[in-house]
Amino acid sequence: MKLRLIAALAAVFLLAACTQAADTTTTVGGTPTTADGGVTTTADTGGTTAPAGETTTTGATEPGDGLLAEVQARGSVRCGINEAVPGFGFLEADGTRSGFDIDFCRAVAAAIFGDPEAVEFVPLTAQQRFTALQAGEIDVLIRNTTYTASRDGGEGATFLSTTFYDGQGMMVRADSGFTVMEDLANTAICVLSGTTTELNLATRFVDIPYEPLTFDENDVLQEAFVAGQCDGWTSDKSQLAGVRSAFPEGPDALVIMEETFSKEPLGPAVRDGDSQWAQIIDWVVNVTIIAEELGLESGNVDTFADTENLEIRRLLGLEIVSDEGTTIFDAGLGLEPGWPADVITAVGNYGEIFNRNVGPDTPLALERELNALWTEGGLIYAPPFR
Amino acid sequence: MTIAAPRRRWVKKNLFGGVWSSLVTIGLGLAIGYVAFVLIRFLATADFTILRRNLALFMVGSFPRPELWRVAVAVLILAVAAGVAGGLINASARLRAHQAGLPVPAPPGPRSLVNGFRRYWPLALLIAVCLLLTETVTPTILVLGAIGILVASSWALARLPYSRWSWSLVVALPFVAYLVLSSSGLGWDKWGGFMLNIFLTVAGILFAFPIGLSLALGRRSSLPIVRTFSVAYIELFRGVPLITLLLLGVFALRLFLPSQLNPSSVTRILVAITIFEAAYIAEVIRGGLQSLPTGQVEAASSLGLSTWKTTRLIVLPQALRATIPAMVGQFISLFKDTTLVAAVGLSDMLNTSSIATSQPEFNARGLARITLPFVALAFWAGSYTMSREARRLERRLGIGER
Amino acid sequence: MTPARPPFWRNVKVLRAVIQIIALVGVGLVVYVLFFNVTNNLRARGIRTDFEFLDQPFGVRIAGSDLSPGAPVRAALINGVKNTLALTVVGLPLLTILGVLVGVGRLSANWLVSKVATVYVEILRNLPPLLLIVFAFQGVILRLPPARSPATPFGWFVISNLETHVPGFRAGAGYAAFISAVGLALAIGAFVWWWRTRVQQETGAPHHRWAWSLGLVAVVGVIAYLVIGRPVTITLPVLTGRVVDGGFRGLGAFFAVMGALVLYTSSHVAEIVRGSIQAVPKGQTEAASALALSGFQRLRFVVLPQALRVALPPMINQYLNYVKNTSLAIVVGFAEVTLIAFQAIGNGQPAPQVIITLMAAYLMFSLVISLIINVFNRRLRVVTR
Repeated sequence: MKLRLIAALAAVFLLAACTQAADTTTTVGGTPTTADGGVTTTADTGGTTAPAGETTTTGATEPGDGLLAEVQARGSVRCGINEAVPGFGFLEADGTRSGFDIDFCRAVAAAIFGDPEAVEFVPLTAQQRFTALQAGEIDVLIRNTTYTASRDGGEGATFLSTTFYDGQGMMVRADSGFTVMEDLANTAICVLSGTTTELNLATRFVDIPYEPLTFDENDVLQEAFVAGQCDGWTSDKSQLAGVRSAFPEGPDALVIMEETFSKEPLGPAVRDGDSQWAQIIDWVVNVTIIAEELGLESGNVDTFADTENLEIRRLLGLEIVSDEGTTIFDAGLGLEPGWPADVITAVGNYGEIFNRNVGPDTPLALERELNALWTEGGLIYAPPFR
Repeated sequence: MTIAAPRRRWVKKNLFGGVWSSLVTIGLGLAIGYVAFVLIRFLATADFTILRRNLALFMVGSFPRPELWRVAVAVLILAVAAGVAGGLINASARLRAHQAGLPVPAPPGPRSLVNGFRRYWPLALLIAVCLLLTETVTPTILVLGAIGILVASSWALARLPYSRWSWSLVVALPFVAYLVLSSSGLGWDKWGGFMLNIFLTVAGILFAFPIGLSLALGRRSSLPIVRTFSVAYIELFRGVPLITLLLLGVFALRLFLPSQLNPSSVTRILVAITIFEAAYIAEVIRGGLQSLPTGQVEAASSLGLSTWKTTRLIVLPQALRATIPAMVGQFISLFKDTTLVAAVGLSDMLNTSSIATSQPEFNARGLARITLPFVALAFWAGSYTMSREARRLERRLGIGER
Repeated sequence: MTPARPPFWRNVKVLRAVIQIIALVGVGLVVYVLFFNVTNNLRARGIRTDFEFLDQPFGVRIAGSDLSPGAPVRAALINGVKNTLALTVVGLPLLTILGVLVGVGRLSANWLVSKVATVYVEILRNLPPLLLIVFAFQGVILRLPPARSPATPFGWFVISNLETHVPGFRAGAGYAAFISAVGLALAIGAFVWWWRTRVQQETGAPHHRWAWSLGLVAVVGVIAYLVIGRPVTITLPVLTGRVVDGGFRGLGAFFAVMGALVLYTSSHVAEIVRGSIQAVPKGQTEAASALALSGFQRLRFVVLPQALRVALPPMINQYLNYVKNTSLAIVVGFAEVTLIAFQAIGNGQPAPQVIITLMAAYLMFSLVISLIINVFNRRLRVVTR
């Protein structure tokens, strides 16, 4: 009796799932706008599956009615973050959060409220992050997320100025003698699930036999690598460097291979459809870069009150005297003029953020390299603030 | 010599009763020795800095540190509630003995402190370990204060004249504690660590109970439609693992709600846990209902009681009493299962182990061998204490002896 | 004088119908509201609702399988179900044996044995299974020799923390014929078993069931093996460089999950076994002693068969719990069906449908296990009553 019921239940469950699906497909098919998005699927040889049109747009945006107004009314920014990636986003022993990504969340809060603490951090797993963004659970996603076309297009996300230029690499033990990817044939490779890293690995190793060990949590993966369960660990090179510098046997016991097999530009993402909000996030990032170009630091903002440099005066919201009279520059982003001063005072310029969290003096000990200013041969470049 | 002889006889009988028995004893003895050696070596050589530094993170997650006094006050309030409950149980037992004309046991005296320690030694061990790991003296004062309050209120209530209404205090105080914790915008969405595990367990059972009760009654109902629905619900959710429901809660629950509602991830997971747990509680209650002799219902209907009155006045009071041990069992199993929320990104105590080992100074040093045993101790102490209490209750209520 | 009919609001039949209709409408309303919300939300977010994702490429490779990244999600999920099945098939017998041993051990006359069994039960069943799995993985499996330098005890095994190879066999020519011959022998053996049982019941002659049946199967097996000419060859794992040839292999994560869950579930089984042995009236044991049965015989022929009847329903629950708990393997990266579903969602497949498919898979598992055990249960009841 009970058995038959379970059987019937399973059948009904499956049936319901299918018919319900069929029903809604017809409704979706009826509306031309979503029908299009509903069938967009791409599958390149690399095996990247385009998310089947998870979201097109959510909500209309009229000026003054957008996310900025909502955030201002709420009094805090909801920022989707990671809490277990050393240097980028982690929870300190005292319950506060630190990291490169976290500082950009604080910068956004400082820009809007003048208070870097007006952030509500929402920890997310790799799988959850876009669902949470689409559903409006967070306002901005700053969780070492790689900017890709299918995410920008299919996941209903809009990616903004890249904050960290990274590349995927492979780390092996120095005594393994492995120097190129092909040496890793027939070995096991550790990789985090739900990331672009996982997809890139499949693409790069399409002709090399290997055993992929997929982990859900970074710390278990690290333990597995340290114990030698896998010979190679593939991830963003910044993360590999972080573990390498802290490795118990000393950094020289590990080697990060030369080859970078994918570009991993990491940056903030917002929901599609609210350009004002996107511009704000974009310019918060840009302002930290411009501040570094101009030599503005968290400690010296006050000393620039009498500066002749017009760009600094615009940034700090100081009066600009010209023939037409005295004005204060307002970029029209919907924020108080002079908001960049709050950002810089709160978190510092780009260089400060970098050095504080991942720079040479931190356990991660990363060099600027690609993330140096454009004037110093890097890729960090911002449009002018005027 | 005179003492040694019986002892030797005991050893011979119970440890070396035969060739096989002796071999097994020797083998097990060696194994125990080895385990003890490994354990002592671990305790002596391990560096517990990561726990010392992160103790608060393991307990309350990212709860703002300036607001920690709320946790302290809540602990004290809960200590009062526990003490009152203990005192009332004692008082009501004495009252019942008095009414039945049996010898009335003495109210708790100094000996009951020793008994209490014996009953709750796993918890005491956990608290002692935590206090050893603290860096300031405040937590020790707090714990001593809480124990003092607990003992005092239990002694007082045991001596005051017994009143049924005092139980409302036991029910109300936890809500007061919750209010203290959650006021000024620190609702359960902001909780983490062990506090989150405990909260999810208590809230999950509380919310699931009414649903489970209706499902259990529905399953035994003679109305075919009601019965079918109940059976379908129960078998569906008992047939799938909790993790699938947590996934549903994280990824799909919002789709079932009007778009204005946007519950936080803790709330969504709580909903998933409630849905899951209701099915199990329904089965626990059904067990209690089935244990009731049919004569009870027949007697009630011969007295002319309606079905509803029979259920409310005759069936449920007896059936629910019989389910208490099984309910505690369900509570334990949910308590252990709350660690699963780590897999969907909540910062519970198990996930805190990942978080702590991701801090730059502790990263990639294999420190999970320090943090995991600590988490294990916390869950073990909680579950073991409860399962002992469940067994005590089972004996006291005389279930299984009918 | 017929008694006056009660007014309709006190008529039991009417009342019952009304309550049922209310229940139906209530549930219908809830379902409708949920359905309404779902369709609205799905349309608003443009999420597709069919199950076409099953044919999309999965995109990544899976540990311990030969699937290419281009294989469809369906194949990946089936591979996951196979891995869940493997955990179940290996785990259930192990945990039963371990559970019975510990359960009997708790009632042992040897003080140390009963104490150790008690400690075993009280520690293991009060720990979260998830924690046990993580612990087994990090604390036990990862401490084995690293993958780059495996241990090869006796030349029979190749053991590293990545994977373990044990001796296995390889099918040769005429494998199918050999298997069918052995299968036939097993069928005949079962018939012989039944026949010997009847002989004993009718004539009282000793049945010697084991000797008859096993002897038959062994004889047929050996003859078939010789006639067909080595249809099966035993292979030992051989390590050359990084590649292991021959034998069977299991991933380290598999052993972590299986081992942890076997320990955890066996502690519950031990309690069931102990309880059901204690539920056998003491007179039974005393009567068996009076018949001069040995301690083992008392257990094997008198106590355990009776205890089994009491133990079976809770045992089914434990078996089902084991299967459901295998879903916790995600934390150590063993590619059972839940991990595959996780990966699929992480790589952009629609979450609601993936989860529904996953739930359906587990319902099927629960169903099959209850089915098997219920058949067994029914047989047991008929025989003993």
